[in-house]
Amino acid sequence: MQALRMLLRTWRGGQLNLIIWSLVLAVAVVTSVSLLAERIERALTAESASFLAADLVVKSSRAIDPEWIVEAKQKQVRTAQVLTFASMVYHQDDMHLASIKAVEIDYPLQGLLRRTTTPFTSDETLIEEVDYGPAPGEVWVDARLLQLLNIALGDEIELGEIRLKATQIVVEEPDSGGSFGSFGARVLMNYSDIEAAGIIVPGSRVTYRYLIAEGFAAAEGSSVAKSFAEYSEWVKSKLDVHDRLITPDEAQASVADAMDEGRRFLLLAGSIGVVLAGIALALASHHFAAGQTQQVALLKSWGIAASRVRSLYLQQSLWLGVGGSLVGLLVGFAFSEILISVVREWLPISLPMAGIRPYITGMATGLLCLAGFTLPALWHLPAQSPLAVLRQDVPVKPVSSVVRVLLGVAAVASLLFWYSNNLILSLAILGGFGVTALATVVIGLVMLRVGKNYGQKLGSIWRLASSNLWRRKSQSIIQMVGFSGAIALLMIMAVVRTSLIDEWRWQLADDAPNHFLINVAPYELDGVRNMVREQNLETAGWYSMVRGRMTEINDQSITDDQRDRHESFRRELNLSWTTDLPEGNELTSGKWWDELDLSGDIAPVSLEDELAGELGLSIGDQITFSVGGLIFKARVTSTRSLNWDNMTPNFYFLFPEGLLENYPRTNMTSLYIPPQQKLLVNDLLRKYPTVQVIELDKIIDRIRTIVAQITSGLEVMTLLILSCGVLVMFAAVSLSMSERLQESAILRTLGSSRRLILGIQLVEFSVLGVMAGLLAAIGAEAAVAMIQRFMFDLPFAMHPWIWLVGPIAGGVLVGALGVGYSRKAVVQPPLEVLKSL
Amino acid sequence: MIEVSNISKQVTTTEGSLSILQGINLSLASGESLAIVGPSGSGKSTLLGILAGLDLPSEGSVSLNGQNITAMDEEGRAAVRARTVGFVFQSFHLLPGLTALENVALPLELQGDKEALKTAAYYLQRVGLDHRTTHYPRQLSGGEQQRVAVARAFACRPTILFADEPTGNLDTGTGEKINDLLFDLNKEEGTTLVLVTHEHNLAARCGKRLVLAAGLQVDESLLEGPLKSPLKGSVKKKTPSKKAPAKKKAVTKPKAEAKVKPKAKPKAAAKLKPRAKPKAKTQGSKS
Repeated sequence: MQALRMLLRTWRGGQLNLIIWSLVLAVAVVTSVSLLAERIERALTAESASFLAADLVVKSSRAIDPEWIVEAKQKQVRTAQVLTFASMVYHQDDMHLASIKAVEIDYPLQGLLRRTTTPFTSDETLIEEVDYGPAPGEVWVDARLLQLLNIALGDEIELGEIRLKATQIVVEEPDSGGSFGSFGARVLMNYSDIEAAGIIVPGSRVTYRYLIAEGFAAAEGSSVAKSFAEYSEWVKSKLDVHDRLITPDEAQASVADAMDEGRRFLLLAGSIGVVLAGIALALASHHFAAGQTQQVALLKSWGIAASRVRSLYLQQSLWLGVGGSLVGLLVGFAFSEILISVVREWLPISLPMAGIRPYITGMATGLLCLAGFTLPALWHLPAQSPLAVLRQDVPVKPVSSVVRVLLGVAAVASLLFWYSNNLILSLAILGGFGVTALATVVIGLVMLRVGKNYGQKLGSIWRLASSNLWRRKSQSIIQMVGFSGAIALLMIMAVVRTSLIDEWRWQLADDAPNHFLINVAPYELDGVRNMVREQNLETAGWYSMVRGRMTEINDQSITDDQRDRHESFRRELNLSWTTDLPEGNELTSGKWWDELDLSGDIAPVSLEDELAGELGLSIGDQITFSVGGLIFKARVTSTRSLNWDNMTPNFYFLFPEGLLENYPRTNMTSLYIPPQQKLLVNDLLRKYPTVQVIELDKIIDRIRTIVAQITSGLEVMTLLILSCGVLVMFAAVSLSMSERLQESAILRTLGSSRRLILGIQLVEFSVLGVMAGLLAAIGAEAAVAMIQRFMFDLPFAMHPWIWLVGPIAGGVLVGALGVGYSRKAVVQPPLEVLKSL
Repeated sequence: MIEVSNISKQVTTTEGSLSILQGINLSLASGESLAIVGPSGSGKSTLLGILAGLDLPSEGSVSLNGQNITAMDEEGRAAVRARTVGFVFQSFHLLPGLTALENVALPLELQGDKEALKTAAYYLQRVGLDHRTTHYPRQLSGGEQQRVAVARAFACRPTILFADEPTGNLDTGTGEKINDLLFDLNKEEGTTLVLVTHEHNLAARCGKRLVLAAGLQVDESLLEGPLKSPLKGSVKKKTPSKKAPAKKKAVTKPKAEAKVKPKAKPKAAAKLKPRAKPKAKTQGSKS
């Protein structure tokens, strides 16, 4: 209790303020980032679950084993079956090849179906959200089906043997996104009507989806999550070659990517916050320890043994760590709540509560920071000789600065790694800071020396200021490390944030392509082009393709086993041609056409990287294609990675020009169709019934919303990190403050003007700030290069603004802080200043 | 109570070995008071540090209450200090974040005294500061701060009180009051008092005096009257000039003995001038 009492008194005396602030902020940053990251992650997982309309989906070419449903009931896990296929629907003389989706009444298990009774409306008040599908005997249809079949709601359509009444218009299905298989207008029907319709016979091309979601109630003796996890494992063990498991992450690659990058940015921001708060804590502890030497000498003169002194300080540190961390947790929680309430209006989803992990992370951060930064600074105190009470010149030997730096680095490194679980990120931040610190020591000394020599030739303020800086060079260097570290880390964050948002811009752009037109025959091409042009719409360019099937690999026929394994062996593939490597494509192995001899009998083919892996194909393998019965051979000469995010046509198989042109081909493009011109799709389909339209407008809208949420979250986060940076600067400024104030007070006593005193401080701090800003630019550029290259996969680019903003911001900020701090020296009477030190 | 046998202190510097104290002998009974006097740099504070067990001599031994503290390790000496010793310093050494009451109570609390605050309040009242208990050191005058320090020293009921120029930072009037306080309390508590001072009056109030010059013990009888005039005769010849600091002199004349040779220069040592006022920097507490 004595330790706690001493700590509270020291705190009341104001000597602990900086340490406490640093500690609280370190913990608050980590806690709020972790809380936010976890809550957003949970929300987005829920959101992606709604992309699946479930927590987990098994996609299969065969009907679901009834045993699965029995087991699900036992485990209290919710399930729903969904069947999709293409079939003709009729109304009198009109017909359409519709995209049918038969769903059980519980569909969707996650997310909501949006329906209306007003065709083509975007008026939210007319749209209703429901969590169930159509009743038996009913269908809910795409608005354009009404036009295509010339019907109104309430009319009946024929499907196979039965008639179903169209009662609602489907505006949006949670799991409609990204599927390239749905070409016709949607008809949503009840699963139980399938049998009566008699349209599914063995061999029909249908896709079964088995939707699984956590139950509303737990099975006996288990929790909801546990039952779900157990059932998921059980289902996984039952899967065979026909079945594929789809997780929320896979459900929507673009959203998953944005989510992932958002998460990484949060981590980056949090990590930077930790490092900044760590520096602040190290500086504050150093400052605090320097003020404790006299107290320790006094305690020892009273006969308090060194071991007792150590124990007293350890206990105080522990109290400080636990108390500071608890306050940090509260502040972190409050901050994350504020953050969420700020962005809430942009959030179309509610954020679920986070678990306990963020709090544990925050607490551990506090204790680790203290162990890494504060304890090493205090470690030497018990060894302080009691003789120091009598003499000022008793040497105090602190833990060597090398050891302290190493301990600090070890603490930050372990925190960074534990926190981000990302080695590259941790190394980049440490490396960036290391480069900055090293450059600061070396270049900083040179700059101070040059400054001193040059300053002698200038006015008295400059002369005094520059010699002060040189006289206090070790302190100046420590301050510069603090300043440049803070500035560098803030700039790293600004750069990464900007490039991330740039990268997402296409997703935020209003005119990103949202429809694909495929299967346009050569003789239809001009007509379709004209129709698009008449609507003043622009395409992303037209691409030709031929449809072909793989028949042999390395002269061996495709086996049944291979067909079971991958649908590309079962169906026709889109083959296209190009001279140049398309934009967004990158060679991952092999050579492009310009480095190959194209004169042989065997055509070269470039494969998409992931597909090549799935099919077990690599460079040199030979594929036999059949295009409308015509056979030709091709050899894999390269593999490419594709950028699926840019919404322009991408092809798995690419050939050089001049090889496929004579085969029957079709054309495709992608374009942006605004909602009010959506009827173009109907006109197109009516005039060119064989053209297929893939509608991605709804899914793109959703991606855009999510990206906007993440972006605004990041903006707010930036503020928190900025406050960490300012704290470091405060800590660094206060490091030399008592000495400066004392000097200023003496100068003041000797009659120096306010102008001279503030002028010296302004010049000293501004010069320090400018130098630190310049050095920060070096460190930031180095770290950003690493982070962009290895973490966000972006090309290296110089950032000229860093080199300008760094020194200017450094000079202004540090100068202002320094002068603000020193004002006391000219406002209060000198004696009061001296007494308060 | 205090037995000092032939202690000397050397330190190693870049210029070689430097002798700070040589051949000091002393005996002080319980309840007696001793003033250590001598010019700046004569080794007064070093001797005080050694007597109090804060430092070790290079040779010789020191016994406090019959315990040879020079044979103990630091932990042992700490234990003796805790039981036996109290301090009053020239620069007060009050902790700036603690109130007057807490400053006095702290050493008691560290000894596990449950009544620490009560005892502290009693001693503050005894030094006449019962109306200032909640004030912080920065809110107190120099004299008040030293009274707090005196209260703190006596509150632990030490058997020996060491005071290092207790009035060195105070004006004469205030200094006198502190001195009165010290001697009154010393008398009432029956404490053995060892103090380092430049002040004639203060030294004269002590029962015994130990005169140091260039690290050597000078016979008190060489002082004329009750410290009224400077040291004369042999002392004069031994003590160093202002130009050549005492310590350095000792290096060049390592064979100097307790008996002072008649040729040494007298001035600095003999006049026992009050030490120049220390700089503002060293005032108050910087801890």
